[in-house]
Amino acid sequence: MNRPTHEGILRLSHAAIRVPDLELAAAYYTEVVGLIETDRTPDQVYLKAWDEHQHHSIILESAPTYGLQYLGFKVSDRSELDRLAKRVEDASTPITRHGPGELAIGSGDIVRFMAPSGHVIDLEYGQKQVGSALPLVNPPPAPQDLVGMHPPRIDHIFLMCEDVDGIHDFFTEVLEFRLTEQIKADDGHQLAVFLERTHTAHDIAFVTGPNGAFHHVAFWVDEWGDLRDGADMCAYHGVNLDVSPMRHGATRGCGLYFFDPAGNRNELFTGGYRFDPDDKPTTWTEAEMGRAIFFYEGKVNTRWLEVHS
Amino acid sequence: MWNASCNVCHMGILRLSHVDITVPDLELAAAYYTQVIGMTITERTDDRIFFKCWDERDHHSLAVRYHPRLGLDRFAFKVEHDDDLDHYESRLEAVGTTVDRVADGEEVGQGESIRFKLPSGQEMELVRDVHKVGHALPLVNPRPYPDGLIGIAPPRMDHLLLHAEEVPEVAKFFIEHLDFRLTEQLLDAGGHQAIAFLERSHQPHDVAFAHGPNGAIHHFSYWLDDWDHVRRAADILAYNGISIDIGPTRHGLTRGNTIYFFDPMGTRNEVFTGGYRPDPDFPTITWTDERAGRAVFYYEGVLNERFQKVHS
Repeated sequence: MNRPTHEGILRLSHAAIRVPDLELAAAYYTEVVGLIETDRTPDQVYLKAWDEHQHHSIILESAPTYGLQYLGFKVSDRSELDRLAKRVEDASTPITRHGPGELAIGSGDIVRFMAPSGHVIDLEYGQKQVGSALPLVNPPPAPQDLVGMHPPRIDHIFLMCEDVDGIHDFFTEVLEFRLTEQIKADDGHQLAVFLERTHTAHDIAFVTGPNGAFHHVAFWVDEWGDLRDGADMCAYHGVNLDVSPMRHGATRGCGLYFFDPAGNRNELFTGGYRFDPDDKPTTWTEAEMGRAIFFYEGKVNTRWLEVHS
Repeated sequence: MWNASCNVCHMGILRLSHVDITVPDLELAAAYYTQVIGMTITERTDDRIFFKCWDERDHHSLAVRYHPRLGLDRFAFKVEHDDDLDHYESRLEAVGTTVDRVADGEEVGQGESIRFKLPSGQEMELVRDVHKVGHALPLVNPRPYPDGLIGIAPPRMDHLLLHAEEVPEVAKFFIEHLDFRLTEQLLDAGGHQAIAFLERSHQPHDVAFAHGPNGAIHHFSYWLDDWDHVRRAADILAYNGISIDIGPTRHGLTRGNTIYFFDPMGTRNEVFTGGYRPDPDFPTITWTDERAGRAVFYYEGVLNERFQKVHS
């Protein structure tokens, strides 16, 4: 009944994360985070959050190291995929095109390229739909058999790169993202940028650091109280908790940082605001960077600045 | 939608912009909407008052006009680009809908707009340029929310629910001519659509229709971030002697948490949190007649007569 749309990039779709111990990582992401396994191969485990309809939002990839293999954005239509592919090519960025199922189980049509930040990005249309964990007739508010933190969905991804100004221009000019917030150095260059397509505070963010580095992937939870439950879950399972429930200045959201067994940082995130395309971005000055990241502490810890995967 | 002339995509209709209602007592409305709800007044004329929530950057999300009777003047949705007005004007006129242009300067707080009547009798407006007045925080090093907020202090308006004699007809109008998507529906015993939930902003609903008299408004709703804020809202309503309709409770439809209550003149308000983020390919959820109670009030499981009969 619903009609085609032409909205370009809709939202963050998935992240493929490298882990040296696939079984350990799979146990963590299903039992502690509470994602649902949808498929597996000898080298991969496919996961989705309970309220997601798509086949996967996290793919664990067996690898000798940790980090981000690639990330994917969901595109509204096939014609939008073609249009965006041309924009990426016109920006002198080589692309490859892949048919359904070619790059991952359940994948749709994909345009793949490497962003100037050194991250592999997929634009995808038509990932296999497997349905959420609820019926489409008279559903309860949530399934009754959820375990772990059980966030309803993936929310955003946070990456590092050397040239934040450059990646800001690439995302806004080529991929049609909008800048919601930025941290500016005293000399005027951007230390961090927050970018959105979903009218939220951010779908992706970049902070100064090594190209290709993965800072964290965040899962949405509905309430501040869910962050407390998440922290309880981390403590009970002996998960390496990075930062206890806290408030971000930038995005105004509240979060909880912790590490998966391979050392990739995860976040539970809630709050934030709704951003119109004609709204002006918020700026944080270098002197206030501490409050921008950790509003209560007022300073950034070394781990946050230096530990990535 | 895709605009071929500039080779960029844009969203068309973005979200609910403002609700314009009539009230029999302007001063009482001003006191209630500023002191209990906690909106701020951005402008007053002889017979109208314009309000916004603290996190809203546009001129108003609620306008009240003096009139001896309660009712809805119109409601407005915000579009992304000026040429979206031309686009929807020509599409609506092509299906025989009369569209009025309101020139820049004719309406308080906003630029050019188009207005038209829905098959269900309400007047709808599309507007791109609602004057920017800024929200209550600075754009450099802001705190999470302003100090000294009064009342419930929701950050923003969320959605509204209207009545229609023929819900399927108006739902079809929104889907086919305004590019809305149907997230949920309630079917009566005869399989007839009794409630339809429609969205543009990737949330469970921006506007909904329930079976009832044409032209009527059931309620408009404010967003809250957290269930705990819903409890706090109930405390504030009780302290101020506001007539609580129902709640705090949960809706089966939209999965949101809610309180319905009445402003002192009788227009139903809601505070709302929760829900989910539907993609454009989201499959529509259906509620059947025997679960109609849970669809509307998930905890109580029964519809009260007020929900079905009281509107403005």
